[in-house]
Amino acid sequence: MSAVAAKPQAGGAMNPTAMAVGVVMLVIILALCWYVSPGAGLMALVGVIIGGVLIGFGTHFVPVGGAPAAMGQAPGIATGVAMLAAGAGLAGLFGGAWAAEQGLVIATLTGGVGGGLMMAITCMMVNFVYVFGMGIPAASGKVANDPITGDSQKEFKSQGTEGHGLPFVSFVGGVIGGFLGGAGGTLIYYQLLKLYEATLPTMIGVPLVQVMPIAIAAAGMFAVGLFLVNAVLTAYNITGTIEGPHDPKFKRWPRAIVASAVASALCGLVAILIVVPM
Amino acid sequence: MSVKIEVIEGGIPHQKIMIGGLVSTLVCLYLTYLNVLTKTEMFAFFGGLAMITALIWGSHTIKVLCSYGIGTGVPSAGMIAFGSGVIAMLLATKFAPVMGIPTAPIVALVLAAVIGFILGYISNNILNMKIPAMVQALTEMAVVGALSLMGFAALITGGFSFAGLTPIKIVVTSQGLVPTSQYSFLGGGLIAVAFLLGAIAIQHPFNACLGPGWKQDRMLMLTAECGFLSMIVAAFMSFAFISTGSAMISLLVAILGWAYTYNQYICLSKRDAASWLDAKPIPEMEGH
Repeated sequence: MSAVAAKPQAGGAMNPTAMAVGVVMLVIILALCWYVSPGAGLMALVGVIIGGVLIGFGTHFVPVGGAPAAMGQAPGIATGVAMLAAGAGLAGLFGGAWAAEQGLVIATLTGGVGGGLMMAITCMMVNFVYVFGMGIPAASGKVANDPITGDSQKEFKSQGTEGHGLPFVSFVGGVIGGFLGGAGGTLIYYQLLKLYEATLPTMIGVPLVQVMPIAIAAAGMFAVGLFLVNAVLTAYNITGTIEGPHDPKFKRWPRAIVASAVASALCGLVAILIVVPM
Repeated sequence: MSVKIEVIEGGIPHQKIMIGGLVSTLVCLYLTYLNVLTKTEMFAFFGGLAMITALIWGSHTIKVLCSYGIGTGVPSAGMIAFGSGVIAMLLATKFAPVMGIPTAPIVALVLAAVIGFILGYISNNILNMKIPAMVQALTEMAVVGALSLMGFAALITGGFSFAGLTPIKIVVTSQGLVPTSQYSFLGGGLIAVAFLLGAIAIQHPFNACLGPGWKQDRMLMLTAECGFLSMIVAAFMSFAFISTGSAMISLLVAILGWAYTYNQYICLSKRDAASWLDAKPIPEMEGH
């Protein structure tokens, strides 16, 4: 059997039973969190879940080309979903972490702008390389006309390829995806940081200023871990490549929302348990 | 259901590697506890060995999982292993020894297995991947991530208790003597370096060796080589936390191990290659 024919046949079908089990798991984890830490912990967990869902949903917008894109045979950026999502999200996380002192809204938006900016630069440079380096125009293989500009795609698409380069809609999708991912990552970091700032001094028994490095490092590490888990789960949902919001695979997002919510709730609960007295 | 592209032909079965990896990792982690019993720090290098045995097991798990063509690239498997592992490992360090026996490695094992199992269920059923090895592979990978990070922690700081990873030291700054937790494994962010040292070492071997010419012993030797390479870097970082002599032992073990595994890997590569040419550096041409 050739490697091409052996691509995963996951398809877009939903599994209602598993989705229901996922929602039940989510409720159980929320109840557990309410039991161990009813106030601040539960609020932080809700924030973490929202952040995780933003990451999972946002990743679907990012144009991922994988190995075919590196050979100019498929549209998108020539690397995997997990790497792109991690790149955009971590760029946003670093941006948002600087603004953490200025409150939830500014920090989250700064994170979003950081992630969006990173994706915008990446998309632009990718198109530079495609157009001026490889000499291929941008053309989508999934739609006849670009949904935003209305430009016809068929004339520019080479035979035997699924399209190539980065059409305008993919560029816009990449920026939206980077924004959502960066904002989600920062939201997770911010929620955990505030929780640790409030609980770590009493837990270790020293002033806040002395344990601030631990609060920042632990919140950052958990945010990175949660980000990678969500990004890889979304990558499993997309299975390979996606062109952007106009791709038929984009319709799989409800599965990723449930998956990200459960995974974020689980990992978030563990992150909260670290400051719960045992 | 997806189709398996490659089959494991010959070599040690995965079950054996899993059990061997798990047991030797736990034994090595517990051997670092000799530091506490003998009140020295010279057994920190066992943390590095625990990390390497865990990575060898993990890279074979990645081979089992990625043989199904999950379509997301091999590195993503390493990322989810450490992403879920770091979460379990950090909570596990909080568990205090019971009757003088540290519980942290066992707690990390159980916690990571639970997290990995649920993540496996999510990907297989909610995301409809329907890959037979998925649940077991993600469970194993979370355990590998958690235990190898614990190995890094033991290698760098000599122990794996939460208090040991976050000590508050009094340092001299321009404002005078300031107590801070900045100079610790967690507070100083060294855990992020350990995270990526491990994540790259676990995903690289199968990424580099996959294909029709895949050989089990060659891939596992490359994993050991990557592990010792990471251990060299971590041993350098350990100079900041443990006594110089103990850190030298770790560094020596890491360098000797790396040299041996690198040589072995080159030999195995030559064995499996169709032919090879020992290209010399460009010679200096006289009078041209």
